Amino acid sequence: MFRKLKGPVIFLLMFLDVQVIVGSTPICVHGHTGCQTLSLADLFDRVIQHSARVHGLSSDLHSEYEQYFLPSKNKISKINRNCHTSYILTPNGKENAQRLAGEDLTGVILKLLLAWRDPLSQFHRSMAQHEDFTSFSGNKALEMSDMMHLLGMISNSVRGLISNEALGPQASSSEARPMNDQQLLYCFRRDSNKIQIYLKILKCRIAPEQGC
Amino acid sequence: MHSADPRLTLSSSDLRDCPGPEMMAARHLLLLLSQACLLLETGSLAAAPPLTASEAPLESPHFTACLSREQETFRCWWSAGSFRNLSQPGALRVFFLKKNSLSRTWMECPNYTASVPNECYFNKSYTSIWTSYCLQLRSRHHNVTYDERCFNVEDIVHPDPPVSMNWTLLNVSRSGLHFDIIVRWEPPPSADVKAGWMSLTYEVQYRERNASHWEVLDLETSTQQSVYGLHTNMEYEVRVRCKMRAFDNFGQFSDSIFVHVPGKVHGKESTFPVTVVFIFGVVGLAILFLLIIFSHQQKLMVILLPPVPAPKIKGIDPDLLKKGRLDELSSVLSSHPLCKAEMYREEPWVEFIELDLERMDAAEKTGCSDTQRLLGLVPHLGSSHRLAAKDGDLGRASCYEPELSEADPAVAAAFCLRPRVTSPEPQSDRPAPDAGPAPDAGPAPDGEADGRPVIQTQLSTQSSVSMDFYAQVSDVTPLGGVVLSPGQQVRGPGEKGEGGDGQPLKNQKEGQKKEGEGGVEKEVPLPLLIVAPDSGAYTSELGNRQIGSDCSRREAFQDPPAEMPQPPPEKNAVEQFALIVPPAGEYQSPYFIPPTPQLPPVADYTVVQDVDAQQSLLLNPSTPPPPSMAPVKPPPAMPVGYLTPDLLGNISL
Repeated sequence: MFRKLKGPVIFLLMFLDVQVIVGSTPICVHGHTGCQTLSLADLFDRVIQHSARVHGLSSDLHSEYEQYFLPSKNKISKINRNCHTSYILTPNGKENAQRLAGEDLTGVILKLLLAWRDPLSQFHRSMAQHEDFTSFSGNKALEMSDMMHLLGMISNSVRGLISNEALGPQASSSEARPMNDQQLLYCFRRDSNKIQIYLKILKCRIAPEQGC
Repeated sequence: MHSADPRLTLSSSDLRDCPGPEMMAARHLLLLLSQACLLLETGSLAAAPPLTASEAPLESPHFTACLSREQETFRCWWSAGSFRNLSQPGALRVFFLKKNSLSRTWMECPNYTASVPNECYFNKSYTSIWTSYCLQLRSRHHNVTYDERCFNVEDIVHPDPPVSMNWTLLNVSRSGLHFDIIVRWEPPPSADVKAGWMSLTYEVQYRERNASHWEVLDLETSTQQSVYGLHTNMEYEVRVRCKMRAFDNFGQFSDSIFVHVPGKVHGKESTFPVTVVFIFGVVGLAILFLLIIFSHQQKLMVILLPPVPAPKIKGIDPDLLKKGRLDELSSVLSSHPLCKAEMYREEPWVEFIELDLERMDAAEKTGCSDTQRLLGLVPHLGSSHRLAAKDGDLGRASCYEPELSEADPAVAAAFCLRPRVTSPEPQSDRPAPDAGPAPDAGPAPDGEADGRPVIQTQLSTQSSVSMDFYAQVSDVTPLGGVVLSPGQQVRGPGEKGEGGDGQPLKNQKEGQKKEGEGGVEKEVPLPLLIVAPDSGAYTSELGNRQIGSDCSRREAFQDPPAEMPQPPPEKNAVEQFALIVPPAGEYQSPYFIPPTPQLPPVADYTVVQDVDAQQSLLLNPSTPPPPSMAPVKPPPAMPVGYLTPDLLGNISL
């Protein structure tokens, strides 16, 4: 099972800007000699750190957005929020996630990442246009663009790796409903949290440490 | 409020019935009192809770809180509000709706907690993270929705407080007034941190025991935190709480722990003796130092300011001479390398020359080197009739001859350069040895055949003519030999005539060429030519030529003596003269003895009459050359700058 996982996992790790290691033989991406070998657990830790950072960024952006643009919190408005990634079947509980096969879990992660490539770029463009945005979240915008860059990398590499069947129906860019920024931020925050937790569970599955 | 007023109003109405000014004042007083009482009552009444829900501002039933402790289950609480009649259990119902589910039907709360009133518990099967829940509080029958709340479960997570808090002392400050501790705890057991389901951040707060303000420290991801700058002798209270990372909902605080480090009672007093001791120590050390300095003043001066050493000059210490320590002086002198060198200076040949003609086979060893020849001939040079060549010590002892000191060392060299004369037996036909040139040295010592047949013969022949102690040095060979001027022709017994001379000359040349013969031809006063170093090629030609034709050579040879010295070096001319080829090439000792027996005896000294246009000396032609030689006079090959002996000879002739 782990062998099947290796492919998608490796690409997943690769696009998150991490050195790729297959088993015990070190493979350094840029062909440097004397690359430091990393264990899979360390790689996962790095990936998880990245995802945590992404989630933190999205959360901050969301809260700042609400703070600046929606002073009056309207909880009812949240009801109608429907993210574009809702079609992706994701485990919603701990047991469900742990019961899920590693390969499927990786597939879910990749689908999520893939689905957010275009919306994030759209958001970045809209942010650039809004002058108000730049004032309050200039740094965050940069970080968002970093995230998008990462996601772009992975989507290209993932497409060739995972079959379309595994990916499931994708919402092409043309079909994507134009989301407003608030909704996008909210959805991205949620999905980044999903990705982070799924990665952690995956790590416990693939490179188990004590207590997993 | 209502109840109070009637009482008051009654009292005021009663007072109005009584007339009279005293009554009026009492009435006012009572009014005042009543108003005061009213105020008080209203104040007190305002603080009191409403007596009934219906009387209080109407508050509908509502959800009070919904929270999840571990992101796997969640609970919701509600309250009936001011609707007292709905506070009974079951009067209000909770319905929820999951947003992502396909069905849009509202479901009722799966579990109304029995132990806790007004609580709805959603277990794991009903909890879906990242899904929007909407809860509604409805009445039982009328389907009146009192309250609705929508949320995501992850947004309502309030983690449990951390457990197992303890502290350890990091360090205590030097003054003993402050200390640092490190506080450790464990994440709440309900939160599955290890599986990664939840990632928590912690916040530590501390305060002094009786203070009201809590010091808040930064959020910490790890399960430990250091607290710095706490005061000793003071009790502190520390607590910690946690929340999910990137979320804002803190959980409850943990139980506080108390930190107390007893400090020194006399915090500041303890420093006093330390400083006193320190000062005393410094003073004592200073005194010691001064004592030492004053007691060993001179020694210290020497150490601090050492005297400049006298310069050391090579040589003999003049003190030795002054004090008359002869023994030391002599030992110093003997051991001094300079003196040793001085001793050797007189005899430069000593080190390099070792010639033993006795031992050497005349046939085999064609020649001593130039230096050897120098040494060999030296003893006979200048010594009056005594050629005492010491056996086996030719090289060394010979130069010690006292007469030699007078003689010019160059002269000696010239003699040494003379070709070795063969033994008396094969005198005539013995070809010249390794082309040693035979300087036509005038002076010739008496011949003595004391084991030095070669030289002695030569010398003897020479001696017959004349014995000159001095010979003019015309030139110095590159090898270090000296070219003497062809002074007096040596004519001695056994010496052949000119023709004979020519023969031996030729033979000599041949011999020189071959360098095989050890015999030295009879003495032949031969002029020498010094050829330029790069004229090595000439020698071969010359040799060939010489071998080729005697007559021409002879004839050619006749010419040069008669001629005036001419500088232009020509090949033809060069042939006929002794060539001293520098040892650049193979011709180590190609001292060609030019066949010039016909040369007339040239005086050792000639007077320079004039300088030629070609910068050659025109000597006094006092001694005319022999007529046979006069007509033939090839221009002498003269190296630039050199005045060859033959030229001198020519001049003289």
